[in-house]
Amino acid sequence: MEGSSTPIALPQPDEIPKREREDAMGAYLMMFAAWGVGLPLPLLNLVAAIIYFFTNKKTSRFVSFHAYQSLLTQIPTSIVNASAVAWTLTLFLKDYHLNTYEYADLFWSYIVFVVLLNLVYMVFSIVACIRARKGRFYYFWVFGRIAFARYYGPSAISMEKKEEKPNLPPEGF
Amino acid sequence: MKLSIQHQESYSRGELLLRTIFGAIYIGVPHLFLLTFIGIWSGILSFLAFWVVLFTGSYPQGWFEFQVKVLNWTTRLNATFYNLVDGYPALGVNGTSDKVELSVPYPETLGRGLALVRMIFGAIYVVVPHGFCLFFRSLATLVLMCIAWFAVLFTGSYPAGWHAFNVGTLRWMLNVQLYMSFMTDDYPKFTGKELEAEEQAPAAEPTATQETPESDNEA
Repeated sequence: MEGSSTPIALPQPDEIPKREREDAMGAYLMMFAAWGVGLPLPLLNLVAAIIYFFTNKKTSRFVSFHAYQSLLTQIPTSIVNASAVAWTLTLFLKDYHLNTYEYADLFWSYIVFVVLLNLVYMVFSIVACIRARKGRFYYFWVFGRIAFARYYGPSAISMEKKEEKPNLPPEGF
Repeated sequence: MKLSIQHQESYSRGELLLRTIFGAIYIGVPHLFLLTFIGIWSGILSFLAFWVVLFTGSYPQGWFEFQVKVLNWTTRLNATFYNLVDGYPALGVNGTSDKVELSVPYPETLGRGLALVRMIFGAIYVVVPHGFCLFFRSLATLVLMCIAWFAVLFTGSYPAGWHAFNVGTLRWMLNVQLYMSFMTDDYPKFTGKELEAEEQAPAAEPTATQETPESDNEA
């Protein structure tokens, strides 16, 4: 069985209610939040992912895992995107011309990198979205392990024990 | 959709005056400040929900319940501003009211094609005809509100017919809003009256939560 080697048994697709699967799916859609607002502000996606994580983190482990993974992946993507927006705005505001701009090659390389990164991120997010809706786990590179460790690894058990700590009288009483 | 706003036997004149003079400060400011942020979040979810409906044919239930709660909040606030009920409207998405009740049944499936049609042509076949009718109805509501204000001030009671008409305006607007935000496939009727089918339909409890094996384990 898949979940036999983990400290906390992994829920199987047929055990996860539809509502939880939908909530987990929604976490990956936060990458489109800025489109919903209609503003080219990549940090909005990050803010949306943070809000989504905090509003859903107590729903269930499955939802929390996906929301946390989505949030973690959103951090580098948002930073890279925000840097691209900031750089482009700087060029506009300082009235630089790309023909004479000394870092034009670097700028265009960065823009191409950002576009490719976003495309890759979008593809993986949509795959994760579909998998989550089917009640399946999907692990992003590096971030998947971190999110899994938090909600299904040994630290998840120690966190649970911490929460179960009983009320005690003051020391020496 | 089922909206009911209680018609009180008597209305407080003092509260009416207080609300008219200072309502913008003690009701409007805190509610609208919070609703601005909640509204942005609600807008984002509506936008994303369109895509979810388009690809899966269902509105995520958690999001649906959140939207219903937001609608409940705005309806509570509107009912107070329209002087339809006394009392301070509960603040927050989880707030409730014993006088204002809005329930929207959760649709298990929604038409994908219809969602697309609504997104592209909704402005033409929904917003224009309903907007035209609602414009005149809102004017009538505004006039009734003004006259009812004096009626409450001098008699302490809100004429039942006017109350029903103003509640009908809110109901009509909500029906259009629900349709345009992909929360129902039923084209809004050109009326503010509660339809018999709606009265009989079992309404989903917006605050209902589902017990899961996962939550059982955590408990």
